[in-house]
Order: sequence, then structure tokens, then C-alpha cells
Amino acid sequence: MLNVERLCFLYPGQENGWEYHFSLTPGQCIAIHGPSGSGKTTLLNLIAGFLEPDSGTICWNKRPIQHLAPWERPVTSVFQEHNLFEHLDVATNIGLGLHPGLKLSPEQKKQIDQGLERTGLAGFSKRMPGDLSGGQRQRVALVRAILRRQPLLLLDEPLTGLDSEAKNSLRTMLLEEKSRGVALILASHDEEDRKILADHYWNL
Amino acid sequence: MNSPARTAPLSHPGWQLAPGLLLGLSLILLIAFGLGSMLLTAGSLDIATVLNSRYLQGVVWFTVWQAMLSVFLSLVLALPVARALARYKHFPARGLLLRIMELSLVLPTIVAVSGIIGVYGRQGWATGLLNEWAPGHGWSLYGLNGILLAHVFFNAPLAARVMLQALEAIPSSRLRIASQLGLRGWWLWRSVEWPALRPVLPGLFALVFTLCFTSFAIIMTLGGGPAATTLEVAIYQALRFEFDFPQAAVLAVIQLLICGGLWLLVFRQRLESSLIPNRQLSHPVPLRGWPLQSAFYATLLFIFSVFLLLPLTAIASRGLPTLFSFGSGSVYEQLLPATGRSLLIALPAGFGSVGSALFILASARKAQNGILKAIPTTTGYLPLIVPPIVLGTGLFLLLRPGLGHNAQGWVLVALINSLMALPFIIQILRGPLNSLDSHSLRVADQLGIIGWYRWHRIYWPLLRRPIALGLAYGIALSMGDFGVIALFGSPGQPTLPVLLYQQLGSYRVSEAAGTGLWLLILLVLIFGLFSAMGRPPIYRRHTSSSPALLEPKHA
Repeated sequence: MLNVERLCFLYPGQENGWEYHFSLTPGQCIAIHGPSGSGKTTLLNLIAGFLEPDSGTICWNKRPIQHLAPWERPVTSVFQEHNLFEHLDVATNIGLGLHPGLKLSPEQKKQIDQGLERTGLAGFSKRMPGDLSGGQRQRVALVRAILRRQPLLLLDEPLTGLDSEAKNSLRTMLLEEKSRGVALILASHDEEDRKILADHYWNL
Repeated sequence: MNSPARTAPLSHPGWQLAPGLLLGLSLILLIAFGLGSMLLTAGSLDIATVLNSRYLQGVVWFTVWQAMLSVFLSLVLALPVARALARYKHFPARGLLLRIMELSLVLPTIVAVSGIIGVYGRQGWATGLLNEWAPGHGWSLYGLNGILLAHVFFNAPLAARVMLQALEAIPSSRLRIASQLGLRGWWLWRSVEWPALRPVLPGLFALVFTLCFTSFAIIMTLGGGPAATTLEVAIYQALRFEFDFPQAAVLAVIQLLICGGLWLLVFRQRLESSLIPNRQLSHPVPLRGWPLQSAFYATLLFIFSVFLLLPLTAIASRGLPTLFSFGSGSVYEQLLPATGRSLLIALPAGFGSVGSALFILASARKAQNGILKAIPTTTGYLPLIVPPIVLGTGLFLLLRPGLGHNAQGWVLVALINSLMALPFIIQILRGPLNSLDSHSLRVADQLGIIGWYRWHRIYWPLLRRPIALGLAYGIALSMGDFGVIALFGSPGQPTLPVLLYQQLGSYRVSEAAGTGLWLLILLVLIFGLFSAMGRPPIYRRHTSSSPALLEPKHA
């Protein structure tokens, strides 16, 4: 379970900072909505460890994680774009999520192929990200996120700009993750995303 | 939790920070000791008398004058060539011309000079034609003529290449608007081309000025006498022939003040980073031209190609017969040992330079503190501010009593050569390193791709080609070095450029041509070899048709 308590953050030069206070149980999805600059991405970056909070705590299963490095947190992020390393092929991009030195067991290699097949990307493993459409790139990023098997998935506008077919396919994948007990935090402007995926709705 | 990240080798931040910092500090100390010994030696002179000396004034005036003229002529030629290359992409030999222009960075000066003599010297092809068409023309290659010609031969292609990259970095959207509005001539220049070129011009001016100001081999071979002595040559003469160490130190200090002052001005404007743009961003956009524009550009590019190709052709045509003559007294009896010595110096210099550049860049990226960040950054550019001959002079004065063996001199030459190449190699590697945006780095952080894993899995595929190119540049620059080796080397055990100089000096023209061609072939082989080594595996090349590849075009 995720507990965020009095988590405060202020950018240099900013007058009014943010304070976050909420909890999230496994299998739940909380959707965050708000205009640009309202602090949606900041919250996700704080939980992921890309920003250091001024005060407050982030606990996962009662263990504080706010001082852990990003790679030590039980978290995987999917951004709107720039999820993939442009100079590495699809299989390598996913494989690095399973082992950061790409030391993969045959079982893990099989998982990558299965993940790609499940998302309609069978045969794409040697493609470069530049050769993929926006929807395909997001599916690759999501396959990697899912295969990492982290209990908390942070989604920063992951479906923005995609066509409806790609959106539906990704939503289905996210619902499956949810049903498996993965907790989701979704920052999105899309009303439909919130209706389909979210259990709670939070307007910043 | 992703446990493998915890055990990622070399993941402690110190591994990124410490080597570059230590290296940077050592190099700064080395340069400080060199400069310190020079200043101490110079301090024993009556500075007022020295500065009033007509000889010194003449040397300084001529050095600045020839450098200013060379910069002016190089840039005036480079600008239309760069515009022609940017606008007229159908020129049949465009690819070849670009390759030859790249050569100017690494072509050993002494080799090019031998080719220039073959074309414009007393017995040269062009001089022969001139003798027929205009007898009594009074042309002589030796003196200011030859110096300017050789400097333009080297620097116009370099300047044109930098300008071309700046022009090609103009965003497509801006070009499309210019195309739609039908801009041409002055307004195209004013609104599109000048804003793209303006940021690179101060750095380019400083670079070409420094190269011409510190030119050594060209002045030694084409200067034609004491009237055309530059600071660099005067330092060499004071050290090696007159044994007047205080005089050499004063000359070196003056050179340092002029070059250092110029680069400090450039750095204060924060213009150094735009000297070599990293990637080509634009796609061809048809722009409105004036009548006969294509014909003008084609003629200009043809003449420029001939200007660059003639000396190379002269080297090849005169050198081939020498290289094909085997048997007793063959040229190889001198060539092969000289090649061995050159490689012995150039290989460590090249690898040292690339290794240092990587450590320095890693440190500069990692350092948060302003002072810590300044150490590696400064080290990377110090060789531009402190010319190699100045550093060499300082170290020569410092180590003079202890320098007894050739090998010690060679170690110093390799060290200074690797420093010489450092700014260029940093430019080559910095682009790909910086091509990973903050998002990608965050993804890498979250996936635990840190330490050795990040270097191996993320950076290495990006850096493989630039590193190979950097190695080739580093080795080639050292192979062609004539300035530093002239200071520390022994005439009895010459490297290839020294051997070539000796042959030119004793009018053994065909042997010199053979040596020049041999050196040129070696450089082509080195570039070919490293280019092949830097290529990604075949399957990756076939599957990557992505225009979004982050590797810079020039790499």
C-alpha cells in the first residue's frame, strides 16, 4: 500500500508550493487531473524519485521510500513520450527493464517475445524506436513496464496523442495490470481514460 | 525490487567523478609547471629591452599580420563554398568534396606542403603553366604568398565545413517559410542564413586565427627566410639553435598572451559550444534562387575541388614511383623505422586522448559543484589557450637537465600530442553523450541502468562510432605532428614528418614525395580501420532506417 503524507515540494523561485496527502491500495487507480503547471507531473516525479521532496514521507507497505534512488523504488513510470532509448532496438529497450546489464535468462527472453506478441508487436523485436508509430512505441514502453513487475505504475499522459485503436489496446493492458493488483497513478487530461481506468478522481 | 541495479559494477558516483577530476588536476598542474618554469626563465631577462627589440617586434607583427590575412582569405573563400554546398546539393562530386574537406583537420601540414610545392613551387605544375602564359610573372611560393596559400588550403575547407553545418542546422520550418515567401539574395541571407552563421563565427575566427598564428611546418618550409619568421618558429630557433632559453620563454609568453586572450574572449561570450554543431537537423527545402545560380555554384565548387585536389594529386603522382622502387637503397630503409617511431608515439597519444576525453566528459557531467565542474571543463579547452609549442617550451625548460634519452622525449611528445587533440575529440564525443535527453536519463535511472551497465548498454552504442573517429583523429594528428617532435625529437631518429622535412630540406624531392604519400596512405588506412571498427553490427544497420537516430551526422 502506498501512503503519501504531507509531501511538500517547492520549485526554486516559486511562491506557492504543493502538498500531497493520500493513500492507494493495490489494484486501485487514482486519476489526477488539472491544468498545466498544477503539479501532476511533479507528484509522479516525487514518487518516482526524480525530484527530492522538501518534507513529508512516501511509504510503500509502511516502509519509507523517499530517500531511495529511483531504481530502488517499487515503481515503474510510463511517460507521454521519450520512454525508449532511440538508439537501441525494441528487444533491448524491453530487456533493460528486466536486467539493467541485459543479462537475461532464456525465460526472460521468452517473456519479451510473449509481451510483444500479446500487444500485437510480434516480429518487432529488432526494430528501432524511430521505425515505430506513437502507439507502437507506447505499447513497447508498457510491455517493459509490465514485465518489470513493480507493484506501482505511474502513468504521465501515456495515451495522449494516440489514435482510438491504440488507446483501447493500451487501456485493456492497463486494466489487466490493475486486476493483477498493480496500483496505478494516472495523470491525464482525457475524461474517457479516467472513466475507464480510475477508481478515484483527484482534481489538482 | 530490481535487485541487479544494486550490484551494478562501478555504480558509485565517484567512479564517474574522480578519474576525470584527477586527470584534469594533473594536466592543469603539468601545464602550470610548464608555464611556471617558462615565466621563471623569462624573468631573468630585462623585459623592457626585449620588448623594444626590433627583431621581436618584427616577429610579432609578422605573426599577427599573416594570421589575420590568412583568416580573412580563408573565411572569404569558405563562405560562398559553404552556401554553395548547402544550396546546391546536386553537385556531382559533393560527397567526395566533403570528404576531402574533412581531411584538412588531419592531413599532416608537412605532407600538404610537399603537395603544394609540387603544384605551385618553382618546378610545380601551375608555375609551369604560368611560365608559359605569362613569362616574367615574378611568382614565388616562398614567403608570404606560400604561407597564405597553404593556410587557405588548410583552413578554408575547415571553415566551410563548420559554416555548412551551421547552415544545415537551420530548422526546416524556417527554411519552409523562406521558401514560401520566395526570399532570396539579401533577405534570405539577412533573415535565415546570417542568424545561423553568426553564433559560429567568433569561435571559427578564433580557431582559424590560432591555427594560422601557431603554424609551424608551413612557416619552416615556405617562409623563405628570416623576414617571414613567426613566434612559433622563433621559439624553435631560440631553443634548438641559439640555446637562448630566456628569449624562447619571452616569445612563448607573448604567444600565450595573444592566443589565450583571444580564446578567453570567445569563452566569455559562451560561444565555444556552437563551434561544431552536433547534428544535421534540416531536410532539403527548395529555395528561390537567381538566374544561373546553379551554374555559378557548380563552377565555384569545381574550382574549389581542383584547388584541394591538385596538391593531393601531386603527392600521389610523384610519390608512387618512389614507393614502387624496391631493392638496395630503397626508400623503405628509412620509411619503415620512421613509421615505427611515429606509431610508437601516435598510438598512445590517440588512445590517451580519447580516454582522457571520456573521463573529462564524465566528470563534467557528474560534477554539481561549480569549481569541480570547472576543472574538467577547463582541462578540455586548455590546449587551445596554451599552444602545444608553448607547453612544449615550458616542459623543455623544466625537464632540460634530465632529458637524456630519446624515449623520454617521445613520451613527452605523445603526452603533448594527446593534449593537442583533446579539444577536438571532446567536441566529437560531447554531441552523442548529450544526445540522451533528461527523460531518457530518468528512464535509465528508474530501470537501474547505472554505473558500468549505463556505459555498456546505453552510451557505448551511441559512442562506438564517435570513439572510433576520435581515435582516428587523435592518432592522425599525432602521426602528422611536426612542431612538438621538432622540439624534443632527435634528427638521427626521425618520425615520418621529420623525415619528410629532412628530405625536403636536402632537395630529395622524389623521396619526400614518397614519404608524403606513405604517410597519407597510413592515415587513410587508420581512418578506414577505425571506421570499420566503429560500425555497428550488420543486423542493426539493416534494421535501423530511423531518421531519429541520435548519432550526430558528422560522426
